[in-house]
Amino acid sequence: MDLVWKLLRQHISLSQLVGFFFANLFGMWVVMLGIQFYKDVIPVFNQEDSFINANYLVLSKHITTVGTLSGHGNSFSEYEIKDIEKQPFAKRAAPFTTSQYKVNAAMSMSGATPFQTDMFFEAVPDSFVDTPKEAWTYKPGETEVPIIMPRTYIALYNFGFAQSRGLPKVSDGLVGLINMQIYINANGQHAQFKGKILGFSNRINTILVPKAFIDWSNEKFEPGKTEDPSRVIVEVHTPTDEGIAKYMQKKGYDVEDNKLDAGKATYFLKVIISLVMLVGLLVSILSFYILMLSIYLLVQKNSTKLENLLLIGYSPQHVSKPYQMLTLGMNAAVLIFAFILLLVCRNYYLGMIELIFPQVHTQTLLPAILSGLSIFSLVSIINSLAIRKKILKIWYRKD
Amino acid sequence: MNTIKLNNVLPHVFSQRTDLKSEVWKHELSFEKGQLYLVEAMSGTGKSTLCSYILGYRQDFSGQLTFDDKDTQQFSVSNWVDIRKKHISHLFQELRLFSELTAMENVQIKNRLTDFKTEKQINEWFEMLDIADKTNTKIGRMSFGQQQRVALIRALVQPFDFLFADEPISHLDDHNSSIMGEIMMKEAHKQGAGVIITSIGKHMQLNYDKTFRL
Repeated sequence: MDLVWKLLRQHISLSQLVGFFFANLFGMWVVMLGIQFYKDVIPVFNQEDSFINANYLVLSKHITTVGTLSGHGNSFSEYEIKDIEKQPFAKRAAPFTTSQYKVNAAMSMSGATPFQTDMFFEAVPDSFVDTPKEAWTYKPGETEVPIIMPRTYIALYNFGFAQSRGLPKVSDGLVGLINMQIYINANGQHAQFKGKILGFSNRINTILVPKAFIDWSNEKFEPGKTEDPSRVIVEVHTPTDEGIAKYMQKKGYDVEDNKLDAGKATYFLKVIISLVMLVGLLVSILSFYILMLSIYLLVQKNSTKLENLLLIGYSPQHVSKPYQMLTLGMNAAVLIFAFILLLVCRNYYLGMIELIFPQVHTQTLLPAILSGLSIFSLVSIINSLAIRKKILKIWYRKD
Repeated sequence: MNTIKLNNVLPHVFSQRTDLKSEVWKHELSFEKGQLYLVEAMSGTGKSTLCSYILGYRQDFSGQLTFDDKDTQQFSVSNWVDIRKKHISHLFQELRLFSELTAMENVQIKNRLTDFKTEKQINEWFEMLDIADKTNTKIGRMSFGQQQRVALIRALVQPFDFLFADEPISHLDDHNSSIMGEIMMKEAHKQGAGVIITSIGKHMQLNYDKTFRL
């Protein structure tokens, strides 16, 4: 065994090191878990919508009791749409076109009892929908119609309908398996179409079909009947622009934005996780002090030995090394154990997340690893420097 | 390193004293490589202080202490480490052995740093100094006289230009002190080193080239 180590390990307090180990393990684990949990959970709130670009806003007018009773419409005139388009925040605007006839649809999966409702269709110009052109088209006479459903609708199906009937739940991956029949009854005409669900959207609370289908079907089933649009889709430069909110307030328009709720939830999640991580960091810092005090005490108790080693020709570097290695080893062990603990916990909560939000992708472990490594390096470097400084104090006989 | 020179060196603690009758303090003198010196001192005249200046762990003096004309006040930590490891060996009055280690380990902790002597040579010295049966005994269990001999062996397991022995035989009988003197001088000759021995009374019977009164 190294004789220097044999000398300098005298007076090492196992209980102090164990205390440090568990305190720092807890602190580091909490910090790593906080960061990883945030990273894993945030996509649940920020699910990217692949159909509707984030720069699109959907506007509608306030629905008020007075407005409804007096028959005062809440539709947009052509002039109003033009005015929106003229605003500096807007790139372009277009009205929603609504189906003028009655629609009934039945949805089912693998032959189970269908979920039947009356519904309606809406359309926006195709250029507002981010799907491949070939998929988002309709030619008169075709029996298959592409459809984008609001995600809330599918939640209604999953938790309200399928749950109570013991039917399989629908996720993004299973969209292709949904069997959707559309029945149109208007002016004595009957038609049946097959709905092809392309996916679900968080951003638009309506059942979208291609513009071509609406134009054709309105003409065919309810010729001559038109209605002013009640909703307008706007493409803006930046959705966070303050001018948008001001304009909406002035005009009395509403912005349909489920991002608002997600934003609140993320905000609180951030606050809570920051608090938890702060506590973890605090525990880490305190445990770091335990280690530092323990090492200082050790150096103090062994100061005569250290001085003698220096006097017979050992360099301060050489005699610092055993203590530096000790702290490095402790910190590394803490890092590894914290990581293992993190993996165990993460496995547990990821299972729950996947159960509730099957469409969320698993995130990388990189943020936790990086934060763990940075705490490890920072603490180790400060430890090393402090030990070196303490030994140099003995060299200069300052204690 | 060939010369240790003291130029008007005076410890700060003596700066107020007017009755100083020293041949070392406030004088110009040098220790040359290959020579044998005796520094005789009364207690309280600063013998250990002189040792600590030459070993570089105290620098509270006025005047100049130079090694080969290099001012020691300018030396860095690594300069001093190098000097302690390769140029000046010290046999401390207070020995500075490690009581937790055995006699052999106390020597090896130095020899492993310098990698200078073989285990055979070290065993030979233990033999000659009549402490061969104590190699595996903890230092704390040995008498001061035995410890002094272990400290001598430790002082010899390094290359040196000067050997500074601070009261090396204070607790030894004449027989053992002459063996010690013999071993010390043989090793010093082999290395061509200078030897400086301090004493407050009893000293080794050797052919000193020069004697100073501190």
